[in-house]
Amino acid sequence: MSQDFVTLVSKDDKEYEISRSAAMISPTLKAMIEGPFRERKGRIELKQFDSHILEKAVEYLNYNLKYSGVSEDDDEIPEFEIPTEMSLELLLAADYLSI
Amino acid sequence: MYRSRNRPKRGGEDEVKGPNSALTQFLREEGISAENIKQKWYQRQSKKGEDGKGGKSEKEQSTQDDDSTTQVSQKEVIEEEEVDDLELGSGSETGKAEIAYDARMNLVAADSDEEEYETNSASATPVNLSPAKNQESLIKKRQNTAKIIQNRRKKRKRAANLLDRRVNKVSSLQSLCIGKISKNISKWQKETGDSSKLVFNRLRDVLGGVSTANLNNLAKALSKNRALNDHTLQLFLKTDLTKLTFNDCSKVSFDGYKTLAIFSPHLTKLSLQMCGQLNNESLLYIAEKLPNLKALYLDGPFLINEDTWENFFATMKDRLEEFHISNTHRFTDKSLSNLLINCGSTLASLGLSRLDSVSNYALLPQYLMNDKFHTLSIEYPLNEEYVNDEIVINILGQVGSTLRKLVLNGCVELTDSMIINGLTAFIPEKCQLEVLSLEELDQITTDSLVYFFSKVELNKLKECSFRRCLQLGDMAVIELLLNGAKDSLTSLSFNSLKELTKDAFVTLTCPDLTYIDLGFVRCVDDSIIQLLGEQNPKLSVIDVFGDNLVTENAKTRPGLTLIGRQSDSI
Repeated sequence: MSQDFVTLVSKDDKEYEISRSAAMISPTLKAMIEGPFRERKGRIELKQFDSHILEKAVEYLNYNLKYSGVSEDDDEIPEFEIPTEMSLELLLAADYLSI
Repeated sequence: MYRSRNRPKRGGEDEVKGPNSALTQFLREEGISAENIKQKWYQRQSKKGEDGKGGKSEKEQSTQDDDSTTQVSQKEVIEEEEVDDLELGSGSETGKAEIAYDARMNLVAADSDEEEYETNSASATPVNLSPAKNQESLIKKRQNTAKIIQNRRKKRKRAANLLDRRVNKVSSLQSLCIGKISKNISKWQKETGDSSKLVFNRLRDVLGGVSTANLNNLAKALSKNRALNDHTLQLFLKTDLTKLTFNDCSKVSFDGYKTLAIFSPHLTKLSLQMCGQLNNESLLYIAEKLPNLKALYLDGPFLINEDTWENFFATMKDRLEEFHISNTHRFTDKSLSNLLINCGSTLASLGLSRLDSVSNYALLPQYLMNDKFHTLSIEYPLNEEYVNDEIVINILGQVGSTLRKLVLNGCVELTDSMIINGLTAFIPEKCQLEVLSLEELDQITTDSLVYFFSKVELNKLKECSFRRCLQLGDMAVIELLLNGAKDSLTSLSFNSLKELTKDAFVTLTCPDLTYIDLGFVRCVDDSIIQLLGEQNPKLSVIDVFGDNLVTENAKTRPGLTLIGRQSDSI
């Protein structure tokens, strides 16, 4: 496992790989990665979240990483789409990840 | 949300948006385009060529029609015929027309009116090459239009974001989700109809795990969308919430308040803004069923009568620590004295705003006995004379030493005497004051404030507003910044201080300042904006409404947003 990537594992054992810098956006993940825990090795189990929720969260982390650095030309940022039926559970996940 | 960009889309392209008018939209929907008209015309022309006499007969026809222009149903036909007439008639000016046509083709791609300039002879042969050319330019034109529309949309979105003070370009996933939920909550409600209770039970199960901060955010989002009603209120029941704020309760019925009181027994602080439907029964219910309630903030409870206030304060005796009330004419002098007699000794925070039946503010100093009293807010009395220097000085004499927040907005009777004999005299040298708001006190002058700032060290002052204290000049601002307040200030308002000059801002260097309102401070220009950005590292928002010297050329560092600039408006 490369140090530049982190793997997130969902409830149904699906794995999502995201870049370390994207994961660091979430204070929760940041603490896990930097702390003295097993997660340091780059594998974080988030068994409380379904895979589709985690997938969306990962999508958001990448979206945030991509666009928060964009300079003054903020007009180019597309909206982040959230399916209505997912919004509640996603809120829980976002709350947990503090993103 | 209330802005057009957030309106549910009725089906993408069908909406009138951008620079398109309703007419353009109609024409598009009906499939009428310049190209169509042109093709039709070509067809007719070739037909005419076959007929030979066609042109003339049509002309005659049109003159006949001209006589009957009153018939509205034929109007469209006539207009079409008239165009043809013009074209036929222009035959004698062929050369001139062709030049004009060519020039137009170069300048304005695919203009819909160009056929007016064509002649019969031209249409027979060479014009046939133009459809291809037209097609190309048409595409080009469409692309251009699309670009313009997109730009406008962007600009509008940016302006809307500015007004929403959304400085962060990428909003957090939590706020995105909350926005989505609140947007759809009423929809779900409609869909489920009578079984809505079940849905909300489910919602609450899920939301039960959400932090209380997010529940309050959800309450905020719901209020903003005016979606808080008895149904959505259920989201907040049976939770461990201790503090709850509803910024817009206008749709919550008295039953709603009662259920809230029954199912959220842990509440210690409750804020109900615009609670017009809160009635006597529900208020007493709240007092009775919420044993831990210590703080109540009400705006607009105009159904509550004098007797109920009396009962309420009797029930809350020795329990009520914070009470803020605004916008009701039924809260009278008697109610105020009831409040003070019953709860005066425990009150630590009191707010009275826009109470049109209260005149006897002189009662306050007698009863505010709590040595932990920290917040006093008296705003917009009905008659300015009700709140005069003497009363405020007396109050400050009583509670000034512990005060952390003082708001005296709109008490326009107050003068320098209050500043010198009240604030300066009774607020200890090393004071605890965190918020000082003296908006619209147009009688206070620079001299008194300079005296106050030089005598009292405001080491903890975070928010300070002198909005529309029209007499204040540079020295007041400079003295404030020489004070210890400089290092703690986070928010400042100098709105409408028209006497200020550029000198006032040279020393404005506050390490923690995040927001400053410089609206209608006419001296503010691009150079001051740049200076402020450089000197205040945390400054993120400057309000510059009405500052016509602030232009689009103002240099701001990244992370600093100007709001209200003329050049940003749509």
